[in-house]
Amino acid sequence: MSAVEQARRLIRKSIWAWSPESERESSEAIVRNLWIHWFPGKVARASLDWSYSFWLGTASAALLLILTVTGVMLMFFYVPSTERAYASIKDLQFAVSFGRLLRNQHRWAAEGMVAVVFIHMARVFFTGAYRGPRAANWVVGIVLFLATLLLSFTGYLLPWDQLAFWAITVGTSIARQAPLVGPTIQLALLGGHEIGQQTLLRFYVLHVFFLPAFVWILFAYHMWRVRKDGGLAAVERLRHARRMAPKATPTTKSYSLFGLTPGTSIQVLSSTGLEEDDQVFSSPNVTRRIALVFLIVFNITLLAALAFDAPLEGLANPAVTPNPAKAPWYFVWLQELVASTTIHLGPFTVSGAFLGGILIPGLLLIVLTIWPWLDRSPASAEGRWFPPERRRQNTIFIAATIAIVVLIIVGVYLRGPYWRIYWPGQMRPEMPRLY
Amino acid sequence: MNSDRRRILRFLGKGSVAAAFLAQLGAAGRAFFPNVLYEPPSRFKLKRPDDYPEGYTFDAGKRLYVIRQGPSFHVISAICTHLGCTVQWKDTEFDCPCHGSRFRPDGTVISGPAPRPLEWLAVSVSPDGFLDVDSANEVARGFQLVIGKEHV
Repeated sequence: MSAVEQARRLIRKSIWAWSPESERESSEAIVRNLWIHWFPGKVARASLDWSYSFWLGTASAALLLILTVTGVMLMFFYVPSTERAYASIKDLQFAVSFGRLLRNQHRWAAEGMVAVVFIHMARVFFTGAYRGPRAANWVVGIVLFLATLLLSFTGYLLPWDQLAFWAITVGTSIARQAPLVGPTIQLALLGGHEIGQQTLLRFYVLHVFFLPAFVWILFAYHMWRVRKDGGLAAVERLRHARRMAPKATPTTKSYSLFGLTPGTSIQVLSSTGLEEDDQVFSSPNVTRRIALVFLIVFNITLLAALAFDAPLEGLANPAVTPNPAKAPWYFVWLQELVASTTIHLGPFTVSGAFLGGILIPGLLLIVLTIWPWLDRSPASAEGRWFPPERRRQNTIFIAATIAIVVLIIVGVYLRGPYWRIYWPGQMRPEMPRLY
Repeated sequence: MNSDRRRILRFLGKGSVAAAFLAQLGAAGRAFFPNVLYEPPSRFKLKRPDDYPEGYTFDAGKRLYVIRQGPSFHVISAICTHLGCTVQWKDTEFDCPCHGSRFRPDGTVISGPAPRPLEWLAVSVSPDGFLDVDSANEVARGFQLVIGKEHV
């Protein structure tokens, strides 16, 4: 055998599971490859449809991976000390080779993840994909969305610039408004009564260990549940179109260490119960699409990182609040809410910090979480985009989203010094930048 | 009898493990509430009364305004009662850059989300002749420290 032939065989031996050349190799890949065994042997062709899911969940996972890798890289350069943090970010910007690119990519991937995770949630909502057994995974998804927001929040505190300092000031002041436990939460977050070294260290450990670990573990569970719940809801649409009975969970017997065990086996549950023609092998059909989504997402974040620099304001200065002091775009709607919801009822005043910072977002969150149990749409509406049976539900969701987007636009583009509205073209007063 | 004893022993065994675990968890949580704070004291000295000009003077380090009207002094905190940003004196009113609250010269709210007036802080003259502010001690609006000849 020639050396070339030997090399060819060696390569084939290491990658055959990823590019199977026969159906036999496709099905063997599932049990012979550690990474591919996460997937079911076969998946419904309908669930691979680009225009059904837009692969937004996969894109979120890709962003999480990019954030983890770039984040670990940044940890080699960043020092979580109030004296060194800002300078270490400046070093990344100006002294470390490709340090600016690394930080830019981390920043844009983080903002992208907030957006993509939300759009993913909107997709699941519009297609009614949270019905029945998938309700639990909807709740898991909401927790993941919240964790994504917390990761962003803890992340933009780390540069210890003006944005960071005043965001912690406002953020922990909102936490303080929580009934009964508020001041205790604020004390635990700040590690004292003032923002200082303890605060930075706490947010740092949350950002680089606890929250990412939590998200990765919950992400794994999210994926596992997708499989246990029978794949994407697109399958239900197919089943409904074929007038197939709802998925039965037949009991089986399997051979365990101590003899026959009655119950349901994994294969039976994860099987979609569809015809052979409706299904395709996971390898290479799913694996290649995932690789493609990762590649696209990676390239977009890289291009964004090359084109735009991540913002960095002046060094944190407790004496001077920037004017105006704006939250990042995904929190600016909350800033609008806290700024405009203080109400006076005779001698009583309810602060917008509580109403707009805790009560309204809290209620939104609760409604969103229990929505699958409020849902009364028929099973035929499942797995389809904008079905007429769900017109009222989708209208509510779109209206709420538009309201939030409008608040974001007002906050980002119209608010000027002293948080006043300045219409496009209107002169804004020059504010001295005291740092 | 025998099975009762086993049940009690099992309960004690599992219970002690659970109790030890919970206590450990509680101890870990308690560590997050500091016993010692290395923070500047809430009571501090400013400059001498005569170092302040007539009107509103901002002290950036301490985040407060010293207001002098002839021999009368009072101190208003610059920390917005809404969400803690630093308010700025603008000739006739205090304005907050974070959420747009506006306050009258005496700290009461004109408009915006601030739920309460700005705090008036206790101020006195220390024995060595400096203004002495206790930022943890709020005083009634209208409080004035009148400096007699002995201090000037």
